[in-house]
Amino acid sequence: MTEEPMLAARALMKEYDEGRIQALRGVDLQIAPGEFLTISGPSGSGKSTLLQLLGGLDEPSSGEVLYRGASLAGRFDLDAYRSRRVGFVFQAFHLLPALRVLDNVQIPMLEGRLNAQERRTKAAALLEEVGMTHRTRQYPNQLSAGERQRVAIARSLANDPEILLGDEPTGNLDSENSAKIMALLSGIQAQRSLTIVLVTHEAEVARMGHRNVHMKDGRVVA
Amino acid sequence: MALVRIALINITRRRLRTGLTVCGIAVGIAAFVTLVGFSKSFEREWLNLYRSEGTDLAVVQKTFLNTTVDERVGGRIRALPAVAEASPIVINLMDLTPEVNALVYGLPESSYEMAPLQVLEGRKFRGEEAEVMLGEVLAGNLGKKAGGSMEIQGASFRVVGVFRGGSALETGAVMMPIGQLQNLADLHGKVTAFHVRLRPAPAGLAEEEYLRQARAAIEAAVPGLKAVPAGERAHNNQFVSFARSIAWGTSLIALLAGALGIANTMAMAVFERTREIGILRALGWRRWRVILLILLEAAALGTIGGMVGLVAGWGALRGLASLPMTANIGNASISWPHAGQALAIAVTIGLAAGALPAWRAARLSPVEALRHD
Repeated sequence: MTEEPMLAARALMKEYDEGRIQALRGVDLQIAPGEFLTISGPSGSGKSTLLQLLGGLDEPSSGEVLYRGASLAGRFDLDAYRSRRVGFVFQAFHLLPALRVLDNVQIPMLEGRLNAQERRTKAAALLEEVGMTHRTRQYPNQLSAGERQRVAIARSLANDPEILLGDEPTGNLDSENSAKIMALLSGIQAQRSLTIVLVTHEAEVARMGHRNVHMKDGRVVA
Repeated sequence: MALVRIALINITRRRLRTGLTVCGIAVGIAAFVTLVGFSKSFEREWLNLYRSEGTDLAVVQKTFLNTTVDERVGGRIRALPAVAEASPIVINLMDLTPEVNALVYGLPESSYEMAPLQVLEGRKFRGEEAEVMLGEVLAGNLGKKAGGSMEIQGASFRVVGVFRGGSALETGAVMMPIGQLQNLADLHGKVTAFHVRLRPAPAGLAEEEYLRQARAAIEAAVPGLKAVPAGERAHNNQFVSFARSIAWGTSLIALLAGALGIANTMAMAVFERTREIGILRALGWRRWRVILLILLEAAALGTIGGMVGLVAGWGALRGLASLPMTANIGNASISWPHAGQALAIAVTIGLAAGALPAWRAARLSPVEALRHD
């Protein structure tokens, strides 16, 4: 890999319960700009923990995460990193139940510099991109699981991130919706040249990336 | 999708809890508006009383508890060149019936303070006869007219007139000859104060300086007593001070209960929405924005409670102004500064009560919060 990685993990360790649980045991990984990487592995293999560290949601016990060569540790503003560089898509969608679809998509934009009208316009455009224009005024509990995940994907793109991190984004979907969501993510990745890192335990989904790494017992094994 | 809108949406999610919280703070604010408003009204009426009579100074004891003055000092006060008139007055609060109590003023028939009273029926009292005049509101409450009679503290008086004064403290009061009240209150040779009307200030001398010189002259002539400007006396007399202390004390207790209600509601809201707060943090919201959201919700609860409390307090003041027991003390109006003060207190209470839950919310780790059920 000659190009500077978009993201890199260097000797990454994560321990819980005063070291009694070792979720990550020295992970080294490089992810190129525009790469669609899938991380597979059984439950408890550490793949979600790795994703959280890559996304700046948590801090490693030792080792470091590098974004474009700069360590996230120390003085790096993790809130700004999550807000501007990274978009998250979760297995449980994590939409805010009290807000309408259009408002949910605007939530990350409140950390940006757009005015109210610009936020609404951009959210509407993102919902159009994921095929949800007809549901903008609905609440999350009025949507199907597939629709909720589409809204969550639109929300993850709100601040035009360089990186999209997905934690089992098809885990709560049937096979038909799962295929649709993966097709949507592939299309968005190609169109926006996004770097996507997607954690999954489904072999079929894992094969849809440019590259797959497999984890077991807190280590990258393949 | 502004932050304020999100805050308002959030507080309407649990309508019953929000309603009860708003009621809690509303009770506190209503108590504040009613009690403090009542004491302010009381104070304002004292000022009106002095102004309508043209009193510039009240000569009273320096000490707080001994509130009587030897009536023989009147001669020394009247002899001062700046003093136009000095009238002794005895003031007392008495039960007229089991339901109605009233301020009772004892004055000489010749007092300058009698002159502004407008007699609506009958006449003014004469000399030291066992006669009383009733303020029009009190006469209405008691169902008395000129020509009737009434008992006060076991003594029988003839009601000789009904009058209208310049203050609610007069229209709901009894006026009688000073000697009669001294007998009733066992204050022989003693008065509550001397009310002083000054001569006009000499040309070239500022009113303030003239007042200062007059005060100094009176205090030099009657050692142990102090000459207090009417406005200050209205603000600091014992009736007003006592009413103000009771009003603030009671209001603060009620406001504290309301604040605890908001704090509890916001703590519950943060606990219930831990995962949502984790989502917001995961999406890049900074800690201060989470704090701002929680504080906005708490402030909104305070503001709504404050507005409800203002309306309830106004209603309570109207009720007090119409009750026979309290109609003579105040009126039902709420001044803009008082309303503003009540709302500011409500918002401040909301912010203070929301501070700890907001701080806790901002400290949540995004990962831990997302795992929360």
